[in-house]
Amino acid sequence: MVLSFKSWVANEGGKHFVLILWLGANTWLFLRTFLTYSTGQQYYYLYKMLGLGLCISRASASVLNLNCSLVLLPMCRSLLTSLRGTHTLSSRGTRRLLDKSKTFHVACGIAICIFSVVHVSAHLVNVVNFSAFYCEDLPALNLARYLGEDPRMIILTTVPGITGVLLVVILFLMFTASSYCIRLSNYEIFWYTHNLFIVFYIILMVHMVGGALKYQTNVDTHPPGCLRPNQSSPELQGKELEPGNEERRCKEEARFHPHYPQTWMWVSGPLCLYCAERFYRYIRSSDPVTIVTVIRHPSEVIEVRMLKRDFKAHPGQYIVLNCPGVSSFENHPFTLTTCPTEEKETFGVHMRVVGDWTERFTELLLPKTGVELEILPMVQQRRYPKLYVDGPFGSSSQEVFNYEVSLCVAGGIGVTPFACVLHALLDGWKQFRLRRLYFVWVCRELQSFYWFSELLCALHHKLWQENRPDYLNLKLFVSQTEDLQ
Amino acid sequence: MGKIEWAMWANEQALAAGLILLTGGIVGVAGLFRGWEFAAYAIAAGVFVCLLEYPRGKKNKGTSVERTGQYCFTVCVKAFGPLTRNYYVRAFIHAAIAVPAGFMLATVLGCVCLGIASLIYLGAAIRGEQWEPIMPRTETRKAVGESIKQPPQNPPPRPPAEMRRKRAEDLEGAAYDNPIKVSDYEE
Repeated sequence: MVLSFKSWVANEGGKHFVLILWLGANTWLFLRTFLTYSTGQQYYYLYKMLGLGLCISRASASVLNLNCSLVLLPMCRSLLTSLRGTHTLSSRGTRRLLDKSKTFHVACGIAICIFSVVHVSAHLVNVVNFSAFYCEDLPALNLARYLGEDPRMIILTTVPGITGVLLVVILFLMFTASSYCIRLSNYEIFWYTHNLFIVFYIILMVHMVGGALKYQTNVDTHPPGCLRPNQSSPELQGKELEPGNEERRCKEEARFHPHYPQTWMWVSGPLCLYCAERFYRYIRSSDPVTIVTVIRHPSEVIEVRMLKRDFKAHPGQYIVLNCPGVSSFENHPFTLTTCPTEEKETFGVHMRVVGDWTERFTELLLPKTGVELEILPMVQQRRYPKLYVDGPFGSSSQEVFNYEVSLCVAGGIGVTPFACVLHALLDGWKQFRLRRLYFVWVCRELQSFYWFSELLCALHHKLWQENRPDYLNLKLFVSQTEDLQ
Repeated sequence: MGKIEWAMWANEQALAAGLILLTGGIVGVAGLFRGWEFAAYAIAAGVFVCLLEYPRGKKNKGTSVERTGQYCFTVCVKAFGPLTRNYYVRAFIHAAIAVPAGFMLATVLGCVCLGIASLIYLGAAIRGEQWEPIMPRTETRKAVGESIKQPPQNPPPRPPAEMRRKRAEDLEGAAYDNPIKVSDYEE
């Protein structure tokens, strides 16, 4: 019982701690802004005009500010990759949190959608109240031009209104294209709509220009609720000579000033960081790679070995390939199966040919006549298509070496990160913390094991030679039994 | 590159727009704002759009993922035949439903979102897409061959005994070198 609690804390505790921290920050921000607007002296008149809609809309706006700034941070992949490698995150538990970066991004995105709905609803109520409770005494406070102005006209003729409508439309497009089904089948729709985020952020920073909501600047000289010089309070009829009444008299008229736009303070930091990261990745990937070898393996897998200047990678990382000859804008991730070392500078990926991009890429690399293996000396290279490589990016498979016992389970072509791990063990296994590796690989057909049969045999042979036969425990399974009979 | 199926995206948008219409309609009726009749219409329209759009269509290639419990909706929607199969009709229906919702403030957003979904459906229809229902798979699994029930009668073929014995002069040909001599039994 104690052991299962301890292991739960080690495995899940960090994630849940971050979740609670994030929820706490959102709640605190919401409540603080709500209370500022409902009890603050400078918002007294505005609150009287608009009511609860004011507080809810402003509170949800501050939560939206926080989430719009946080949502960009997990997407800075190069930054996260370098964080994984440095000693700043030396604890294994903290590095495990980086595996959940996409989940955090999704959580912030969903929070943005939910609070946008709340914000828009509250502001629609505000607009109706601006129109219905037009105040002649305080003309500066009004957003409507006259009593009973059509709320839809108010929305369409003010900057916050129009930018708000555009923001909702963009958010609607982004949200509906992000479902799991669309990402699985039509990834391009998701990618191109999600790249509208830059338009979203630019419009967001302009959203508050125009100053629809104003606060009172002279609260000390005009305490809210004070009496005008020619006005008497209903309770104090006949008691105007009482002492202490003087404070209830206004010394001057209330003055209002629109808010200074605050969103840019929240959002510009992460936005600049993300844009810098995208620019860095673009520069880093602008050097084309040289394709050295292309090998066709059974079960529709091809292996591509490449060379790139100043390319360093660790086992378990993945790269993103872009081939303009196939498609200019598509980027596809593949896990590295061999990393560059001091002796050998080439690195390689294994890719399964499923889908149009890989099929077209294979056609460009290999002729259709079923040539098994093409290794040409560099001088005589056939004209391979230009290929750009972005990366390497970190993944959780890098952590295999940091535990004493590791269990790696792979299905089909999912074996690629572990193939890189096995290659690294082949070069030297003594320097890692890893003491035993259980490797389970399930494939559909028997031919698939030929992808890495030499690697497995070589590693097995080496470990037996060096008197560590128990280091690698290999279990291979086949799932389709028809051909075996 | 590749065939993008726009109808799937339009389906997600229309479902979300139906929910937005429903929410806006409920708010409009609950507050009895000016023009609350339009809000009542929006509730009915939202429910209709959600029911129409809930069953997902079949993908042209690859496996289609159903929404939970969509089979009964699929049967109802399929019963209308070409009215629901053709995306031109759907685009027109959505555009027609969206227009009255634009007259009230609470349902204006639903109108805009449904209008966008209708445009994407129009695009899908121009590209020739159609709604195919996802029917449950009726094929039975291939029966396992009879021979699996009987143990093999003969031992598996083996090379002759000379080849199986390890030869001292050909240590490279042997599978591996045992550092400790093993006894003659095989595991």
